[in-house]
Amino acid sequence: MPSGAPAREAQPKSQASSVRYDGATKRYRGASEPAVDHLSLEVPAGEICVLVGPSGCGKTTAMRMVNRTVEITEGDVLIGESSVRERDPAQLRREIGYVIQQIGLFPHRTITQNIGAVPQLLGWDKERIRARSAELLELIGLDPELGDRYPAQLSGGQQQRVGVARALAADPLVMLMDEPFGAIDPINRERLQNEFLRLQAEIRKTVLFVTHDIDEAIKMGDRIAVMREGGRVEQYATPAELLMAPANEFVEDFVGADRALKRLALMRVADINLWEAPLAHVGQATAEVRAKLEAPDVEVPFPLLVDGERRPLGWLSERDLTADVVPARPDSPLGPVLELDDVMRDALADLLQHETQYAPVVDHQRRIVGVLSVEIISEFLASPEAKTDEHPAVERPHD
Amino acid sequence: MTSPAVIAAAGEVGGDFFKERSSGTLPCQAQSDHLFCFDWAKDNIDRYGTPTVQHLEIVVLSVVIGFVVAFALALLAHRRRSLQPPLLAATGVLYTIPSIAFFFLLLPLTGFGRDTAIIVLAAYTLQIIYRNTILGLANVPDAVKDAARGMGLTERQILWRVELPLAIPEIVAGLRVAVVSTIAIATLVVFINAGGLGTQMYGSGNLTFPTSIIIAAAIVMAMALAFDLVLLTVQRLTTPWRRVRPA
Repeated sequence: MPSGAPAREAQPKSQASSVRYDGATKRYRGASEPAVDHLSLEVPAGEICVLVGPSGCGKTTAMRMVNRTVEITEGDVLIGESSVRERDPAQLRREIGYVIQQIGLFPHRTITQNIGAVPQLLGWDKERIRARSAELLELIGLDPELGDRYPAQLSGGQQQRVGVARALAADPLVMLMDEPFGAIDPINRERLQNEFLRLQAEIRKTVLFVTHDIDEAIKMGDRIAVMREGGRVEQYATPAELLMAPANEFVEDFVGADRALKRLALMRVADINLWEAPLAHVGQATAEVRAKLEAPDVEVPFPLLVDGERRPLGWLSERDLTADVVPARPDSPLGPVLELDDVMRDALADLLQHETQYAPVVDHQRRIVGVLSVEIISEFLASPEAKTDEHPAVERPHD
Repeated sequence: MTSPAVIAAAGEVGGDFFKERSSGTLPCQAQSDHLFCFDWAKDNIDRYGTPTVQHLEIVVLSVVIGFVVAFALALLAHRRRSLQPPLLAATGVLYTIPSIAFFFLLLPLTGFGRDTAIIVLAAYTLQIIYRNTILGLANVPDAVKDAARGMGLTERQILWRVELPLAIPEIVAGLRVAVVSTIAIATLVVFINAGGLGTQMYGSGNLTFPTSIIIAAAIVMAMALAFDLVLLTVQRLTTPWRRVRPA
């Protein structure tokens, strides 16, 4: 997984720092149990760390320790090498992007002024603020003409995008996002999540992301900290590790019974061993093709007709093979064609939807690389090896 | 309100008015069924100049002083929540004192004249301005304050750049009520010799000669309307975000 460290060179305009919790504890006066109990974890620069857990588990409290909107009782939080406890809270917060579920745009300021709130505090001049605001509006996919509008004139989804832009305005070292898409309808939430992941691929901020939704956590996180009541972290791992090897019953329950299926959302077709396709060319002798089918390591019972560039044309049926040579028009349609980049969950959905067992997988030039079958996927899900196997190529779906 | 003592006091204040009336003949006196005497109004319109200016001065000074005090109290109570109930009670008690009684209670301390009038009128504005300022500040959404704090605004910046601008509609609403009621109550300061349009309204003779009461009342109403309109305009100009059409 590409981490944030090299991204700093690639994107000189964007900065990010690691965040390290060092035994950070929050006790509220009068409460018998701490809200956050000796939390220690490190978020590498440029990664998204999701704090997930049931309500009351202290995830928001833990997040708020970073910008000192919650004061730390004991322990410390370090941004880069410096302790947040030694910083003036207001100064510190200007270096940390802050996005909350209710957005909290200033109703009396225009969009440009909202985005320019932190730059204004930092003393940027008007022209620079206006330019930065326009740049960010473009980055989040909003018409720069919206800059002169007031928040009330924007839709909920647009307002949330502006909330993200406002948090990014002064190029923060860290972003705190507290259920940022929680109040958005499911369709727009999906869109905003995808947009943010695309944005993050460019800007590579260190993000602390709070949610109670495990699916969102798996989708958004480079790493996930599963928390439970009393502010304890039960497991801190990559999404794949979390799904493959839950540390205990609590995590297993929280991740859900369908965690095997959830894993498919983390994989791409390229991550699994495909079957080799028995290939046939137009005009080839059918006897030759039949011989291929009988080879011991061939698992696909039908030959795949390809053109001169090895691009799939269709499946040959038993009837096609009764002729002497392979016909130009195959009997069976091609059906779904998958790409190596496809997310495994979507690939499975494709197969099921077309009521087919097999689908050819092609590369970027649409040349055949293998065949994916429902059987491969179910074997993968059932294999004990699947639960321990580390997939280095596993990467978050970005679309 | 119309006890002999009060009328006597009013008689002193509006002295020249009554003197002139008792010495001259009133054009409409014969027809006492006339509600409004145009001839008299035409000849005497100049008498209202000075009382109108006095009235304006008293109102403006009272409201400005009342606003400064109430606003300061509201900011204090906003910072220290525990002060809110006692301050609300204190300003509320002031508001319940009958105005004439309030004037005369202060006479031994501050004597006849404008100072006493302004103290009383300012005291009356405290309740409504204080309460509306507190209300306006309380109506600012928590999420907006949370976002402001999280972005690194100091508490002072949150107050002046976020909370107070958003509280303008409620604050101005309080000011409008305060101004209109002050303009009305200021007609009573004539009884402590502080002038104003009350001089043209209250007096033994006036009760059977309504023309002057009507003119003075019309000026009072016009003044109230004008102030209200000005404040409404100020509010609209300072809160353009409230006029946008939602998405």
